[in-house]
Amino acid sequence: MAHNPAVADLESFLAERGEPLLRTAVLLTGSKEAGEDLLQAGLERLLRHWSAIDGDPEGYLRRTLYNLAADGWRRQRAWRRRLPLLQNETATTVADGTREVDTRDALIRLLVQLAPRQRAVIVARYWEQLSEAETAMVLGCSVGSVKASASRGLQRLRELSGTSTENDLAEEKTP
Amino acid sequence: MSTELEQQLRGAMERFTSDVRMPPGLALKAYRHRQKRRMTGRVAAAGCAATAVAGSLAIAGAAGAFGSAGGQPVQTAYTAYVVSHVQHALGARSQANLVQSSRTTFSAGTAVQPYGAASLQVSSRPGSPWQTGSLQDLRYHGRGRVSAFTASGQPVFDLGTTLGSSSLASVTVDYLNRTWWPAGISGLPPRPGPGPGASCGPQIQMRVGTGWAEFIRLQLKCGEFTVAGRQQLDGVNAIKIVSKQRTETFWVSPKSYLPVRLITSLGGVRQQSDFRWLAPTPANLAPLKVTVPAGFKQVPPPWQKAATG
Repeated sequence: MAHNPAVADLESFLAERGEPLLRTAVLLTGSKEAGEDLLQAGLERLLRHWSAIDGDPEGYLRRTLYNLAADGWRRQRAWRRRLPLLQNETATTVADGTREVDTRDALIRLLVQLAPRQRAVIVARYWEQLSEAETAMVLGCSVGSVKASASRGLQRLRELSGTSTENDLAEEKTP
Repeated sequence: MSTELEQQLRGAMERFTSDVRMPPGLALKAYRHRQKRRMTGRVAAAGCAATAVAGSLAIAGAAGAFGSAGGQPVQTAYTAYVVSHVQHALGARSQANLVQSSRTTFSAGTAVQPYGAASLQVSSRPGSPWQTGSLQDLRYHGRGRVSAFTASGQPVFDLGTTLGSSSLASVTVDYLNRTWWPAGISGLPPRPGPGPGASCGPQIQMRVGTGWAEFIRLQLKCGEFTVAGRQQLDGVNAIKIVSKQRTETFWVSPKSYLPVRLITSLGGVRQQSDFRWLAPTPANLAPLKVTVPAGFKQVPPPWQKAATG
């Protein structure tokens, strides 16, 4: 059996800081299950570089989460698979549990329809309250790119929320 | 500047994640996934049984299969992971070449008395002359020394043992009566190898001739334990492992997985053992030798006198 003390250290770290990171991962992916998968993927990378990380595993893990999410992690799989359901859903068409989560808040349902990078910027700016410069640093892009992504992301949310209002009202009437 | 949409978004995110909780064992899952191999929830039987040296230091552990069914499988797997590493560390050849050093402290009123060639009786007897506050225990390659002290640090007795392939020789020095006696056991059965032959009886006892490593391995093999987080012990962020009955608590080093501390509470006796695993330097080996102080009188082993008298 492999002998890796880093796992025990990592468990200790997660006991203290895991929950906020998992919340971020859930918002970046749109569901608890996918959030846990994303965090696990980030932890795998963290473990790979554990011995080389100097003092701030949380910062490394946070950057990894954002970059995995912004790069469209798993988007060819669960993410893209979910979008048609979200766009065409009725009250009875979703049988995989997605609806149960998504109907909890219409804005979150719209958030998951944004492009991965836009969504990552929105989460960083309005969930983690990072500045534009901090967001740029986390995502490894320019401040201008962050501004553009945030602006387009918010605009898209406005557009989607405008068109979704009628759908929401229709869903509420569906038995 | 915050717009209404941004505020709504923030509120939605807060609500959406309000019941998100960290699942246990995610680091282990990540590790296992990275290693691309599966690990069973049960610890392989890696320990070798204690030898049949007579007598015991009366530390008992509950018997039973390791790992609870149901409950939290991830936590169980993590516990299995940690415990298996402890087993591995204690059974490693590198560990066998270290000097096992431990200091055990007892609750007030505890008596520790030499009995037989290589046994100690530990009991709660406030009126006994064998009041013991602490024991210093050293082991290396079949040689051992147990030194008992009062709570104020005065020596009570020394017990030196040398374990052969089928025999054991010992010397006990009694500081209370200024006497000493040699003793021995012959015809010991061979040490059983690892595997299902290792005995998990209703009470697991530490054999004086073998030491802590085997005792702890057997405890972990036969008892039911759970990892209960971390705790700082003398600068070590130690992993805490608690028995189901809460009669034994281990702390192990997250780097070497060797035990750092063991606390047992049983039969009215609470004892704490702190472990060190030392290189076999001349300085570390020298205390293994028991020397009879000048003027001490050799006597027959007291238990023989008790048996015949």
